[in-house]
Amino acid sequence: MTASLDVRDLVVDYGGVRALDGVSVSIAPGTIVGFIGANGSGKTTLLDVISGQTRPGAGTVSLDGQDLADHLPEDRAKLGLIRSFQDCRLYAELTVEETLLVAEDARLHIGVLASALRLPRFGRAERAKRESVDAALSALGLDRFRHNVIGELSTGTRRIVDLATIMTAKPRLLLLDEPTAGIAQRESESFGPLLQRLHEVTGATICLVEHDVPLTCSLCDRLVVMEAGRVVTEGTPTEVLADPVAVAAYLGASQEALSRSGLARPRRRRQLVAHRTTVSSGVTTKDN
Amino acid sequence: MSIPLHVVVQGVIIGLTYGLLALGLVLINKTSRVLNFAHGELGALSAVLLERLVNDFNFPYWPTLALTLVTAALIGAGTELLLRRLFTRPRFLVMVATIGLAQLLFVLSLLSFLQPNEGARPFPVPFTLKGHIDVFVLQPGHFVILFFAPIAALAVALFFSLTPYGLAMRAAAENADSARLGGIWVRRSSTLAWAIAGVLSAVTAIMVGPFRANVFAQALGPTLLVRALVAALIGGMVNLRVAFVAGIGIGIIEQVVFWNWAEPSTIDAVMFALLVGALLLRVRTLGLTSRSEEQSSWQFGAATRAKIASADRVLVGRLGMLIALAVAVVLPAFLSNARSFLFGQIFIFGIIAVSLTILSGWAGQLSLGHFGFVAVGAIVTARFGDSLPLPVLLVVAGLVAAAVSVLVGLPALRIRGLYLAVTTLGFAVLATGWLLPHKQLGLPDPASQRVGRPSLLGIDLSSERSYYFFALALLIVVVIVAHNLRRSGVGRAMIAVRDNETAAGAMGIRVTRTKLTAFAVSGFLAGVGGVAFAYSLFRFSVDSFDPYRSIFVVSMAVIGGMGSVTGAVVGAFYLIGLPAIFGYGQTVDFLVGGFGLTIFILYLPGGLVSVLDKIGDGVTALWRGRVRAPAD
Repeated sequence: MTASLDVRDLVVDYGGVRALDGVSVSIAPGTIVGFIGANGSGKTTLLDVISGQTRPGAGTVSLDGQDLADHLPEDRAKLGLIRSFQDCRLYAELTVEETLLVAEDARLHIGVLASALRLPRFGRAERAKRESVDAALSALGLDRFRHNVIGELSTGTRRIVDLATIMTAKPRLLLLDEPTAGIAQRESESFGPLLQRLHEVTGATICLVEHDVPLTCSLCDRLVVMEAGRVVTEGTPTEVLADPVAVAAYLGASQEALSRSGLARPRRRRQLVAHRTTVSSGVTTKDN
Repeated sequence: MSIPLHVVVQGVIIGLTYGLLALGLVLINKTSRVLNFAHGELGALSAVLLERLVNDFNFPYWPTLALTLVTAALIGAGTELLLRRLFTRPRFLVMVATIGLAQLLFVLSLLSFLQPNEGARPFPVPFTLKGHIDVFVLQPGHFVILFFAPIAALAVALFFSLTPYGLAMRAAAENADSARLGGIWVRRSSTLAWAIAGVLSAVTAIMVGPFRANVFAQALGPTLLVRALVAALIGGMVNLRVAFVAGIGIGIIEQVVFWNWAEPSTIDAVMFALLVGALLLRVRTLGLTSRSEEQSSWQFGAATRAKIASADRVLVGRLGMLIALAVAVVLPAFLSNARSFLFGQIFIFGIIAVSLTILSGWAGQLSLGHFGFVAVGAIVTARFGDSLPLPVLLVVAGLVAAAVSVLVGLPALRIRGLYLAVTTLGFAVLATGWLLPHKQLGLPDPASQRVGRPSLLGIDLSSERSYYFFALALLIVVVIVAHNLRRSGVGRAMIAVRDNETAAGAMGIRVTRTKLTAFAVSGFLAGVGGVAFAYSLFRFSVDSFDPYRSIFVVSMAVIGGMGSVTGAVVGAFYLIGLPAIFGYGQTVDFLVGGFGLTIFILYLPGGLVSVLDKIGDGVTALWRGRVRAPAD
């Protein structure tokens, strides 16, 4: 299941600061689109507006052509619009298993009376939920953390739990806000194949905000470059990385920064980086 | 409605004390992000000391005043030192800890060397000024308030605007680490704020001293606290000037209402309306200050649970439950009637504590007025107890209390953070002061309402022994229901919304419905507890629902282990069972309550249930060792 997203002329003001200044993006069903840009360029604000945490001053968000203006975040989630958060706090005192069950609870609510008295309806639903959660836990190798509370987990494990939660939620459109923030390079490399797998399993359209440019390029069909609340340029990763405006928007013009990101190299090398396959994990990206 | 001048003057004088109290509350909230329920008690000891030294030892007034103010500053600073270790913990716990400290400080003022040589005598005043406006005679005490309060308020204002300390304190409160890097001595600035609060509190206590029948009365009872809180909330908990002026305004409103309607209970209703109004009007400012609270609730309480997750650990837990149950069933055979009554109270309070656990422990909405909901259940019992069979009555009382609870919880939908605690406290005061004596409810005698115990399934509940078993059975049902809810989507959603409202919402959990469900379920169970409570007393009065009882229930939940159903019951056993076994006495009672509460929060944050968990783990390990030893 997959969905298309259409964002038109979004404007968001925080006090005197214009965080989004007329952003329009169309995202085709089943694609992965990466949003890159410097800090404060409006990427997270854009996700907040799409998922309903922030109300835009102007503009529309529509999912499969349906206007979402009157939808609370929880209503959007019901339509299959799921997002992850940069801080990835999840729920400190729930166990990993319970955290995944919350995603199931959101899709199938059992009332207080049925739950309190353990009516057959509750038992059936709970069994089905647990089966689905078990599947997600073992798919991501989280079985041994099942009974740990989220507060005890390392950031890296918490991010994987977050992905498992998303897998359980069965999204049609998925917004990921810096899924590799705060974790080590080595761990973040293993995220590429994980995200790829998530995309294959759920079939969801994915909007990815990520600072790891090589990872973003390897995953995404298209890149959208933002600067100061506007879309500067968009296109395939190859096109975007060839565009000096885009590179400057994200990294500034400093040569040092460019070489550190593996961008200030001859053009052919740059394409290699853009389509880097993550060989180490055995999962290959779409150019194969 | 008429507003004569002397009523306004009277209002200003009373309002000045509210304003000064509000000033202290705002000061501490501004600098430590703590809603300080111990504020009134910080200086209470100073008033007692002043009275004793001047009256019994003939100390001169002014030097003694200086001495007692220094004492108050030291008590304030000392309190901060005690609480400091909690500042990185959830605000929730700090708030409850201040309640414990308030009781602890109160017990201190009962120490024998502070007791006066003789009974009632006038509280010392520095001068003998007198005057009158119309019928209102201004006593020297009134002049003390008129002089002291503005001076104290002005001193605080000047301190904040003219010295760099004010800014430093605010910086330290916003972000202690950054402030420390910026060169601010965070500890000192926080200690200083508490010392100032201590002095403010002492000035207030000394001001109101001449008007109290007994110096040893609680300095800041719930009624007074609610007024000070309303003023502080109107100031958005951050604006010192607005809070002080609002305090004066509240004093005037109170006196005008009193003059025109002469019905003290009306004032409680007016205060509750003002309270909810202030909360909703100030939702923006309060939201700003509670944002840091939200982050600090990242680790909500001490998650207590068994460290071993296995089938035999579960078995050990169940075995423990069975043993406890067996003891509870056999026990009445060895108990006198009076003792049966007391042990029955444990079960009833257990029910109430479990209902609090759902609202405060799971949904994170701290209720300081839970006995208000219990009172609703009791009112339904008194009104319909004779006409409805018991099972129906339990459901009806539960539903009515649930509806009231949802109404009280409505502001919680808009306000994040701990400010709901203030609403519930206001409701508890409202319930006892206004609701219970209200004639429209149709209670024949609100001062002392008789309720005859019914029979259930042909068993007459009027004997203490049969009532004991009724209460036990009811508790078991409530515990099972709570346990089931915790293991269902309903309970999970409550905790998810508490820990991370945004993420839960984005995942599709209905945040509003979840919060209201918590209020409804908790209110329902509190109402059921209210029925059991009303019947257990045979005869209840307004005093049976003193707002302090609500705080008592919070102590149970915290001492038992916040968020744990077992913990709530264990807490009830600790707070009622221990005095029941070892004898009652007011001082002992308070020591167990206030002192115990403080010690538990500081040194055993997981509560008694964490000890039980450890014992269970140990027994499991031992048992496993026995079983596996031959195989190794």
